[in-house]
Amino acid sequence: MQQQHIPDLKAYREQAVAWLAEHAPRFAGAAREGRSGEEDLQLARDWQALKAKHGYAGITLPREYGGAGRTELEKIVFSEEEMRYDLPLLYFSVSLSNPVPIMLRHAPEDYRRRLGPPAIRGEHIWCQLFSEPAAGTDLAALRLRAERRGDGWVLNGQKVWTSWAQVADWGVVIARTDPTVPKHAGLTYFFLDMKTPGITVRPIRRLVNEPDLNEVFFDDVFIPDVQRLGGVGQGFKVAVETLMIERYAVTDESGYGPTLEAFVELARHSRINGRPALEDGEVRTAIAQAFVERQGLRSIHRRAVTAMAAGKEPGPEGAIRKLLLGRTRQRLGALALDLRGANGARFNPDASQVTDFARSWMDPSLRIAGGTDEVLINTLAERILGLPQDYRPDKGLPFNQS
Amino acid sequence: MDFQLSGEQQMLKDSARRFLETNCAFEHRQPLIDNGSFDVTRWATLADLGWFGVSLSEEQGGFGGGAIETAILMEEMGRVLFLEPYWAIGVLAAQTIAASSDSLWSEVLLPAIVAGEARPVLAHNEPEARGTVEFVSTTAVESSPGRWRLSGRKSLVVGGNIADRFIVSARTAGAVEDRYGITLFVVDPGADGMTVRNIRLIDNRWCADIELRDVEVGEDSIIGALGQAFAALDEGHAHATVALCAEAVGVMEKALWITRDYIKMRKQFGVALSTFQVLQHRMSEMLIELELARSMLHRALAAMSSHTDARAAALSATKAHVGRSGKFVCAQSIQLHGGIGVTEEYVIGHYFKRMTTIEYALGSSHVHIERLAEAERKRAA
Repeated sequence: MQQQHIPDLKAYREQAVAWLAEHAPRFAGAAREGRSGEEDLQLARDWQALKAKHGYAGITLPREYGGAGRTELEKIVFSEEEMRYDLPLLYFSVSLSNPVPIMLRHAPEDYRRRLGPPAIRGEHIWCQLFSEPAAGTDLAALRLRAERRGDGWVLNGQKVWTSWAQVADWGVVIARTDPTVPKHAGLTYFFLDMKTPGITVRPIRRLVNEPDLNEVFFDDVFIPDVQRLGGVGQGFKVAVETLMIERYAVTDESGYGPTLEAFVELARHSRINGRPALEDGEVRTAIAQAFVERQGLRSIHRRAVTAMAAGKEPGPEGAIRKLLLGRTRQRLGALALDLRGANGARFNPDASQVTDFARSWMDPSLRIAGGTDEVLINTLAERILGLPQDYRPDKGLPFNQS
Repeated sequence: MDFQLSGEQQMLKDSARRFLETNCAFEHRQPLIDNGSFDVTRWATLADLGWFGVSLSEEQGGFGGGAIETAILMEEMGRVLFLEPYWAIGVLAAQTIAASSDSLWSEVLLPAIVAGEARPVLAHNEPEARGTVEFVSTTAVESSPGRWRLSGRKSLVVGGNIADRFIVSARTAGAVEDRYGITLFVVDPGADGMTVRNIRLIDNRWCADIELRDVEVGEDSIIGALGQAFAALDEGHAHATVALCAEAVGVMEKALWITRDYIKMRKQFGVALSTFQVLQHRMSEMLIELELARSMLHRALAAMSSHTDARAAALSATKAHVGRSGKFVCAQSIQLHGGIGVTEEYVIGHYFKRMTTIEYALGSSHVHIERLAEAERKRAA
């Protein structure tokens, strides 16, 4: 295997590293401690604005809408370096990865010019209204109704698991405009102002006090037809396009949990039955296993990036990384609680997920959100191994008859 | 448990299930949690039901049962995620006192516990103890003849928030992990030098961190013989461990069946999740873990009357097995639920949280496996 050498990227990375070293510490780690949720969000907006000023926001998005107009590889390089800091990025993680880019592809020009720049500068947050109580993995089973009225549509129903809906200014939503055709064919995609009358956002309390998730209720919510993205009945296609925008998502190599080094540090200062934990066989095995796995994951990441640099589509690398990171994060979390003894059962609601091992064990949402472990395994079986798809009796049936 | 329960034991199980299912609905527990996970009226009801006396002898004010009766109740409590500190007072404290051979204090405290009138809590666990019963660094020094001065820290004392008195273990002789030299003192929570900080655990039960700074008590507050408390503590913890394992079996079992019902009902792609063979297999693996854990519990119960080393080995093996099986079953219960599993509003995540605190109480699986290995090494040498 030949490792491709990409000189431009090297220079880009060096610049990014230097820029981050100069600016990131004021927005990361210790700078975030003791801040309320609101203050952290403000810090996140300030960071986003600073990045926009220096061409590091919306890296792949067109310059005329406020982006940096650069390549996906440059974005990956910047993300890799940016993730080394504990920055408040999560509020924009959905907004700028999916809803804003899809809007910038399909919305009328005046909307793109008006809404692109403030979203990229962090003044606006966009949410993605996809999942519903009966439509999780099976997104096309969604029920939110959109009915034609005058020059627009009226929406009624419910969404769930919507990240940051409570602070979102705009959102993209997929709704059922025709229940008489098969489920994938009856959907249409819109974007909307989250302050439109009839929208109610209700927070979902999570096991770990993370305030990100919401239920969103639609009660006669009017959306002008000009805010439709894609054709009537083309919603599922646009939804898939939305999810594919990031062909390869750069994930933190600790699965957004504490690092392996932090685990080793904890073990260094812990004792099991009177002996140093680092002498314990199970602890040593867990560390060695995670270490070996990390080498594999780094290597598979490089492979994906190299493939993209060569103009190829990334393969199963992203799915494999997500699967393994989710498992390892939870496993190390459990063992870390163990090392902390009974103190592990205390829970600090304010702790950051990148420093607190309790969250890694208590919050398996990485293994559920954005494709459960089981769905990813299924996808590998069907797409890569060419094994038959599961039996789907509702296939081809009109939605209202299945 | 279903290993040859006597008629009376079966009745206890049935009535406990009826009472707990009727009175401890998940939807109604928030006010109870806000109240320190304690309700004085319900506590009195538990006493009326006789639950505090099930495993105490008749001369101690109880009804003559043993660890099996406690396990029956604890398993039922596990099924409904019972919040109140029955385990802390009715098992750990009561069994420690009962084993102390102090007839005076036993007469004062045990009938009062049985009647629901006294709520002594054992303040024994220390921040670095990790389930080692003999780990006591809190000290008691005889400041003047017949007066003792206690100093040290006790951590995550379950039920400590509603204790009417603490039974504090303190070192009157020996080194931190010596078995000899531990003494039990009855201490008023409001005594000078006591700082009690109430803490809610991740499973919504309450406990206390306690700091003792030169707390003065008289000689009459000593339970049992000076420096000889290890045996009583060991006995109390044996009962508490087996009770906790029984609770865990109840937690796992209920989590398993809630999940079974959910995947039968939840549809995606036009079919119930339960039709996917991979999920059927997962549920079967969970069942296997549950049944192994239950069998280990039976073994631990059978070992309660055997000699110390054999009992300790059986308890360690059970605690380790139950902890690992329970974490698997409860974590998979969340995974099979998907998104709804990680919400505070839905019950399944609370089974996972409860199982997590059980795993890390009285020594984790890891600690107990190490302990078993250590015992084997010694035997082989």
